[in-house]
Amino acid sequence: MAETLKRVLSPGRAAGPREDMAAEVGPPLLLLGGPGSGKTALLFAAALEAAGEGRGPVLFLTRRPLQSLPRRTPAALDPLRLQLLCSAHEARGPAPFLLLLDGLEEYLAEDPEPQEAAYLAALLLDTAAHFSHQVGPGRGCGLLVALQTQEEGDSGDPLQLSLLQRYFPAQCWLQPVAPGSGQRCFRACLEPGGLGPRAEWRVAFQPDGEMTITPWPTQAGDPSSNQGPSSGGQP
Amino acid sequence: MAAASRAVTLPAVVEELLSEMAAAVRESARVPDEHLLLLKFVFGSSALQALDLVDRQSITLISSPSGRHVYQVLGSSGKTYTCLASCHYCSCPAFAFSVLRKSDSLLCKHLLAVYLSQVMGTCQQLSVSDKQLTDILLMKKNQEA
Repeated sequence: MAETLKRVLSPGRAAGPREDMAAEVGPPLLLLGGPGSGKTALLFAAALEAAGEGRGPVLFLTRRPLQSLPRRTPAALDPLRLQLLCSAHEARGPAPFLLLLDGLEEYLAEDPEPQEAAYLAALLLDTAAHFSHQVGPGRGCGLLVALQTQEEGDSGDPLQLSLLQRYFPAQCWLQPVAPGSGQRCFRACLEPGGLGPRAEWRVAFQPDGEMTITPWPTQAGDPSSNQGPSSGGQP
Repeated sequence: MAAASRAVTLPAVVEELLSEMAAAVRESARVPDEHLLLLKFVFGSSALQALDLVDRQSITLISSPSGRHVYQVLGSSGKTYTCLASCHYCSCPAFAFSVLRKSDSLLCKHLLAVYLSQVMGTCQQLSVSDKQLTDILLMKKNQEA
């Protein structure tokens, strides 16, 4: 859900009225980045942000304990998590208004057939659509999914990625940038899927694990930049 | 049947054609020839095959008390395929090949048949329990491979 992720990334801007934001669900969003690029941290932050809004439950699916280092455990990965999506309509109680899934690559690794990847993506969308229906008109259930790509920003299997992009019109890429003074820094680039301009942020992890997010500095001489003392002159 | 709201949108020309067909059906209970021609223009032979599937009542909307639903289409080969219509997925091999792998086609004939049956308001309906719907969604995954 691009809007929720944007609110996590720009907490200062969220100070305005929230009522109009509540109606906006936005397209399903795919969060991509190499190992250790902060996808789980961002995803979880989005979950907390959404849960804090008090609109209803938030459903976060992951196979790994959240506090563990992002190492793949050799233990058998539980395939029954898919059961959760297929049986989502059986659950009683209020429907979540945000569905997040971490580690899509682990589900895809089990079955690399394109049809399986498409089915998993479609099932995620279908589950979110069902929750949207339950949540009621005018609101909806957003969908945020994290997918680990190869190191060095390489997207790995291009067929699989373009397949997923059919189902996830919005994407946010996390790319490592040169670190500074003990931090690990990443450039988060959000493509909202045609619903708005691309936006970028700088996500930094301190040595103690704390995550700080700042807008990515715009280029000098950019007419849209509002930084600097005299922004009136156009180049 | 309510107008379909899709999580994955088709190209604008297709969405517009489908909603125009739906409007025509609401007004006069039939699809104008010009829409059928446009359908054949956009989808080629899949259009005829899809219309044939609709005529033969091959599409079933399966829903459970939860409100969640899937479509199943009885293909010409006698096999049944499962479609997640709003999310643009069909379990047939043509979808895997032409749509996903080669990006030749927007839709397979089964998905097009589902959309047409939504527009025309004709399809079989089947009610199942919530648990049965879970099995349909799960089993579908096991059938592939």
